[in-house]
Amino acid sequence: MRSNRMGWGLLAPTIIILFIVGVLPFFYVIYVGFFNWNAFSNQLGMQWTGVNNYRRLVFDDAFLDSLGRTALFAFTSVTIELILGFLLAQTLVKSFPGRTVFRTLFTLPLVMAPIAVGATWRLLTIPGFGPIPYFLDKWFGVDYRIATYAGQAFITVILMDIWHWTPFVTLTLLAGLTAMPKEPQEQAQVDGASRWQIFRHLTIPMMMPILLTTVFIRLMDALRVVDEVFMLTSGGPGAATQFIGIHIYRVVVPKTDYGYGSAMSLLVLYFTIVLCWLLFIALTQSGKQKE
Amino acid sequence: MRLTSRRLYSVLSVLMITAMLLSACTTVAPAAPAAPAAAGSEAAAPAGDNWWATAAEAAGCKDVTIRGISESTPASNYAAEVLAPEFTALSGIKVELEPTSWDQMYSKAINDMQANTGIYDFVYIEQDIIYSYLANSYLTNLTQMLADNPDLASPDFDFSKFTSFIDNFKDADGNVFGVPMEAFIKVYLYRTDLFDDPAIQEAFKAQYGYDLAPATTHQQYQDIADFFTQYGKDNGMDLWGTTVQGNTGHSSSFYEFVETIAPTFGVYNWGINEDNWKAEVSQGGEMNSDTAKEALAFWVGLLKDAPPEATASTWDEVAASFAAGRAAQGWVYGENAAWIATNPDKSKVVGNVGVALPPVAEGVMDDAKSGKGYIGYYDGGAFGMPVSSKNPKCSLLWLQYIGQESVQADWAVAGSRIVMNSTYDDPKVQEVNAKTGNYYMLMKEEGPLFRGAPPFPFHAAIRAVVEPYIWKALTGELSPSDALDQAAAAADAELVNLGYGK
Repeated sequence: MRSNRMGWGLLAPTIIILFIVGVLPFFYVIYVGFFNWNAFSNQLGMQWTGVNNYRRLVFDDAFLDSLGRTALFAFTSVTIELILGFLLAQTLVKSFPGRTVFRTLFTLPLVMAPIAVGATWRLLTIPGFGPIPYFLDKWFGVDYRIATYAGQAFITVILMDIWHWTPFVTLTLLAGLTAMPKEPQEQAQVDGASRWQIFRHLTIPMMMPILLTTVFIRLMDALRVVDEVFMLTSGGPGAATQFIGIHIYRVVVPKTDYGYGSAMSLLVLYFTIVLCWLLFIALTQSGKQKE
Repeated sequence: MRLTSRRLYSVLSVLMITAMLLSACTTVAPAAPAAPAAAGSEAAAPAGDNWWATAAEAAGCKDVTIRGISESTPASNYAAEVLAPEFTALSGIKVELEPTSWDQMYSKAINDMQANTGIYDFVYIEQDIIYSYLANSYLTNLTQMLADNPDLASPDFDFSKFTSFIDNFKDADGNVFGVPMEAFIKVYLYRTDLFDDPAIQEAFKAQYGYDLAPATTHQQYQDIADFFTQYGKDNGMDLWGTTVQGNTGHSSSFYEFVETIAPTFGVYNWGINEDNWKAEVSQGGEMNSDTAKEALAFWVGLLKDAPPEATASTWDEVAASFAAGRAAQGWVYGENAAWIATNPDKSKVVGNVGVALPPVAEGVMDDAKSGKGYIGYYDGGAFGMPVSSKNPKCSLLWLQYIGQESVQADWAVAGSRIVMNSTYDDPKVQEVNAKTGNYYMLMKEEGPLFRGAPPFPFHAAIRAVVEPYIWKALTGELSPSDALDQAAAAADAELVNLGYGK
């Protein structure tokens, strides 16, 4: 009883802080979502609008487009990062000359702040000055202008994300591969299993919890990406890289449409929770199957 | 051996610390506000050096820190780097002015005033946002405050000394809510070295049949742009025919179209009918009129003659491109005219900058002269005090300090901005005027032909709705005609949503 009380006493400051900075704002956003509240409206202050903001969302093409665009971005970049990360982890788990140097250099992007990553890529890609457009034009005759061509901008943003986050995936999977027991693989080799069979039937299943955790973390990050993309393209050209985070920013900050922005944020939070829940189910199912 | 290493490390550490301290001292030395203080003493002389100290003391402001936010412009940077230290030296009030990006400036200021948090004691009020701020009662009535606190009214501060630009910051009763700190026009800049070159002039005349001179019509502008783009290609130069402020993800492109290009075709006030708040032609607006579509098609068409960075260019990059000698002509915000024309550290075209009125369609100049229309954008801003300011009296002193005639000339030279009538005649300004192709006098004499943003209380909201269509026109995703049709429809829907134009 005494230890219970002490436990709660020790937890209390954390719970209070979490309540103030996490729970209260969340309920406030729910509250604001039921109002029409815009600093530029001729009706000052908050006007009750019920679920009208949510109804608007269903017919808002810009919102739905940015949601779809975000899903495409997240799916593409995380898939590529996972494949590349796994291959690199497999390589780095073995010993070879210069491995430590490579690993150090390789993880450098990971320690950079997203805004710095965006600035770096902006300098690399800015038309007329950046080395990437210059060499693409000089060597291949490619007219590379991410502020003009939507496809190029989208691909560049994916490449930037891969450049930034593949080291994270690699390190996580490397940790998993290093910790994996060697005996089952050695036994399979003795039994005559091919490398592919070992990979398919032993390595992948044994790595599944770590793979899913990595996907879980990366997917959440990719879905809420804002700063590096905003720095590189500002969501353009047009709306080509206007992912949901940037879209919400544009509604809430320049447009000051606080009510609608709150409704939008809540709906996105709902989608994210559903996605997390599905991944969680997959993760726990995988654990059960293993047992 | 171990002991020796340790001693070596100790010695090295001491040396490093000493070196760091010395370098810190040497860094501090030049930064000491010796020059500003001297300038300030001279500047503040009419009010008396100790008037500011006495007033600050009486208002309980001594050693108080006031905070402000502004867009990072040459004029704001001058205020932060020169005027603020001067004022601190004279009054004992510390001024922390945060010059930041245009977007950040707005979001931080609006969030602060909306939430009434009082983080900022003064904020930058761009001419185009004042109507929204007044509608929301965000700002302190400075006229009233000075009347209520006569002991805080500087003898050198007088609203009547400002140009008519101050009218933008008044309410219907004539009360002032902001002290103008920058005002400039968006002018037509051209390269005199290229335009005056006899060989180029001859080649141009041979091709187009008329003399090469600053464009007065859109067709001439297009011809000159085409000519110099080709000239750059033929001569292996990084030279294009025009700048275009065509960023495809930033509001700057929206502004270039509605405030600079469209008015020269005769489409004013963003094409929104001020009587019924409608944008669509069918509702009485002009946003998607044939003239507006012609203007957008002209502007988008200029991209082929613009440097490759044009679709990533805001106002800053346009100035940088012109200063780098990458464009023969362009619409450039006047706040950049002085440094482009005179600062060899930042500009490659020093001494080769000409300034002229922008080209206009038939009838537009007459509209501008009669007051019915305008030929371009008269931009600028003021520092105002949020009602949420925690140090209103201290801010009032600062706002008066920057509003003295004595600090204006150096500020005008540094930031190509003029907010007081007397500044035009200052010898320092006259000297720079000669180097900037007569920019300052053009602003004085032709300034009335230009106009600030229309008095829309919904300014930023409608901009946010319309700009994606402008971006899509710039990328070619939509034709200029479709872009404006969709933009006008979206603007009308948003206006209704905001409670305007039922």
